[in-house]
Amino acid sequence: MAEPVGPRGATLRVVLRVLGRLAARLGGAVFVLWAVASVTFFAVRLIPGDPAQAVLGGPGSQASPEALAAVSSEYGFDQPVIVQYLTQLGRLSTGDLGRSYALNMDVGPLVLSQLGSTVLLAVLALTLAWLLALALATWSTRGGTIAFRVGSSLEIVAAALPHFWLATSLIVVFSIWLGVLPPISTSGVAGLVLPVLTLAVPLAGFLGQIMRESLQVALESPFVLSARARGESERGVRWVHALRHASLPAISLSGWAFGSLISGAVVVETIFARPGLGRTLLNAVTLRDVPVVIGVVMIVAVTYILMTLLTDAASRLVDPRLRLL
Amino acid sequence: MPLRHPARTRRLLATTAGIVALGLFVAGCTATGSDKPVGEPISGGTLTYASGDAEPSCLDPHVGGNFPQALISAQYLESLVSRDTDGQIIPWLAESWTASEDGLTWDFTLRDDVTFTDGTVFDAAAVQANVAHVQDPTTLSSTGYLALGKVTGTEAVSPTVVRFTLSAPDSALLESLSQPWLAIESPTALERSQDENCAAPVGTGPFIVESWVKQNAITLVRNDDYVSPPADAGHSGPAYLDKVIWRFIPDSASRYAAVQSGEVDVIDNAQPDTIVQAKQSDSLEHLDSPRPGASNRIELNSGRAPFNDVRVREAFMRSANVDDAVSSLFLGTATRSYSALSSVEATAVSNAALFDYDPAAAAKLLDAAGWSETDADGYRVKDGVRLTVEFPVSTNQSIPAEQSVFEQIQATAKETGFDVKLRPLDLSSWYAALAANDYDAVSAPYTKVGPDVLRILYHSASIVPAPSGYFANLAQVNDPAIDELLTTAARATDPAARASLYSDAQNRILEGFYILPLYDQQNHYLLRSDVVGLRTLPTVAVPTLYDAWLNR
Repeated sequence: MAEPVGPRGATLRVVLRVLGRLAARLGGAVFVLWAVASVTFFAVRLIPGDPAQAVLGGPGSQASPEALAAVSSEYGFDQPVIVQYLTQLGRLSTGDLGRSYALNMDVGPLVLSQLGSTVLLAVLALTLAWLLALALATWSTRGGTIAFRVGSSLEIVAAALPHFWLATSLIVVFSIWLGVLPPISTSGVAGLVLPVLTLAVPLAGFLGQIMRESLQVALESPFVLSARARGESERGVRWVHALRHASLPAISLSGWAFGSLISGAVVVETIFARPGLGRTLLNAVTLRDVPVVIGVVMIVAVTYILMTLLTDAASRLVDPRLRLL
Repeated sequence: MPLRHPARTRRLLATTAGIVALGLFVAGCTATGSDKPVGEPISGGTLTYASGDAEPSCLDPHVGGNFPQALISAQYLESLVSRDTDGQIIPWLAESWTASEDGLTWDFTLRDDVTFTDGTVFDAAAVQANVAHVQDPTTLSSTGYLALGKVTGTEAVSPTVVRFTLSAPDSALLESLSQPWLAIESPTALERSQDENCAAPVGTGPFIVESWVKQNAITLVRNDDYVSPPADAGHSGPAYLDKVIWRFIPDSASRYAAVQSGEVDVIDNAQPDTIVQAKQSDSLEHLDSPRPGASNRIELNSGRAPFNDVRVREAFMRSANVDDAVSSLFLGTATRSYSALSSVEATAVSNAALFDYDPAAAAKLLDAAGWSETDADGYRVKDGVRLTVEFPVSTNQSIPAEQSVFEQIQATAKETGFDVKLRPLDLSSWYAALAANDYDAVSAPYTKVGPDVLRILYHSASIVPAPSGYFANLAQVNDPAIDELLTTAARATDPAARASLYSDAQNRILEGFYILPLYDQQNHYLLRSDVVGLRTLPTVAVPTLYDAWLNR
């Protein structure tokens, strides 16, 4: 039997436990960032293509020998790759993302200037996906056999839609045929509708499938039976008990979903000519603009880590069992 | 991730959009065009231009020097001379010019009424500062630097006369100076840091760079004090448009949707399927303006087996059914070329008979060259080696229709026994493959004003790679007779003698079966019908918005 512990000792233990958890999280995050930076560096440097060309006006540049020599020594391309890697890593560890080879500007401000547009797109798409998935899941579990079949088929179809196909189809229908929405991004809200829909629909299909399945399990669980036995209304049973239970897997998947939205942004931003991280990344990879590629990937990794923390917190909020841990 | 195959994705996209949009058209759902009659030009309004080219990293075309920079800088920068549709060099910022007897000294008399948009006076010293800027290694100029290769010095004879001194006569000097990569910028502005100058170069042109929001748009505003249009412009005085919004829409289907819905007024890089649709629409006009310099062609690497044997090169060309591929895949929007040069070059020589599709002749040539056996898969074999053609394809430079043409060539050449291996690569990997001499066939566009492009592409000196690994003579033509013709032509001061030398050189190149010409370098624009007066500069076929106005 353990000694009875005073309230002070208990608080200290809780604080220590929280600090330990935080330290582990932080260490994990640093490890992830290091791994991301290293894998990206070597991935971009090992594919054929010379980064010096990015500085000299793009691939196939016919720059003079003097210009090439100047660039090579200024950017350190004449150093062994491992030295370039360590230099890059050293700079990153001080929070300096370096300077773009191709764009004549520092990577930090460049990435930050593009971050807002992509995050806005991803947050709106995630929100819309959740609303669509919730609506579909609840409707299909209470609307009888036909609703169930229709709902689940819709989810499967939606989840399987490739972004580029959906984007083009939406443009054809809403911009060319109906003429109600612009086919490319514009400064107003109207320009956001099609890109957000393109990202949200496949994700909604995916989240919807998961929600509906867990909603079904929840509705057949003993705690729902007992809630019904207590005489709770159908609405109360569904919204307070079952849905809370059913949303848990979807919440924990949202962290992953956010990451997938950012990769989907590469396609969507290119098709709708939207500024953003996805397009920046695509251009940078084409040009072998290593600092920009690493910068974008690092920012995405940080966002991803933050989202995972947020979904953890959200899970705790929804599921009281987790708060005890 | 679907982006692993950008070309395939784009092609799929284009096809999907094409089919759906065509269906809609058949259903009668076309936007209505402007039916306002075209009267006197109207001043005012904003034109939105959407480019499919990459967004430049620097708006000063002295830095690097590529086509996207030429497209935009033609709106705010001007050159010393221009070229008209007949290929004649015409005055622009220089009113007249004379060359010394030995061709080593050129005097340019400049306009005396021009100021840059920052108030700096345009004079001989300004021209000197620009030549120095392009030749300064820290500017990192590539295209402009090469074009000034023979210029050893400049001198201000008077404020309005600038003298160029050359190391050797250069028959291409005027053509080089007409290019946007050698446009004249304000010397005051050039003294700023490169970052500042890249963001907003200052010229004498009809528009001024007002702002540049990266990955979004460049905004140009009218230069109200503009006085210096080229000699072939449609009007004088300031431009009609108040403002130009320059956007970048990389996806072909979105770009077309944007011009179709009226969101933008002009698009470039229009693809064959969208051109065909636009031709059926009342609200869109099509502007076809092939780029100067080389035609689009497949170059066969004569520097290594199997194409170091002229019989194998000829066999490849005879085995490829190019005509059918071009007409079906470009939907009639491209004309087959049989020339090393673009059809806009007056000196271009065309010889269709050399490129007849004739599989029987191809088979005979291969037999004679020792590729007489055939393996189980139907490919020709010699000494146990299969007749393989490594063909790296740049997915950035070859549009989907062109990539399909290559696939058709692959299929028809297979019937004769060639194993053509098409390798789609992104731009950097593609250049790396060329630098490593890891190719037998390749298609690389090359834009330059005038026939001097032949020297760059086919002189043996161009086989020697630049420090970056780049070399222009991808066919690796190494023929002293061709070298001699091209070197003499580059120094010829008499235009007739020059044309005759280039004609001889082209015949020798074509008859050596080094290149398989396909078509001119495609350069199609689509514009709303109410955009009037838009034309391309006959130098490098970039549009100029100076004469353009909106009939709305």
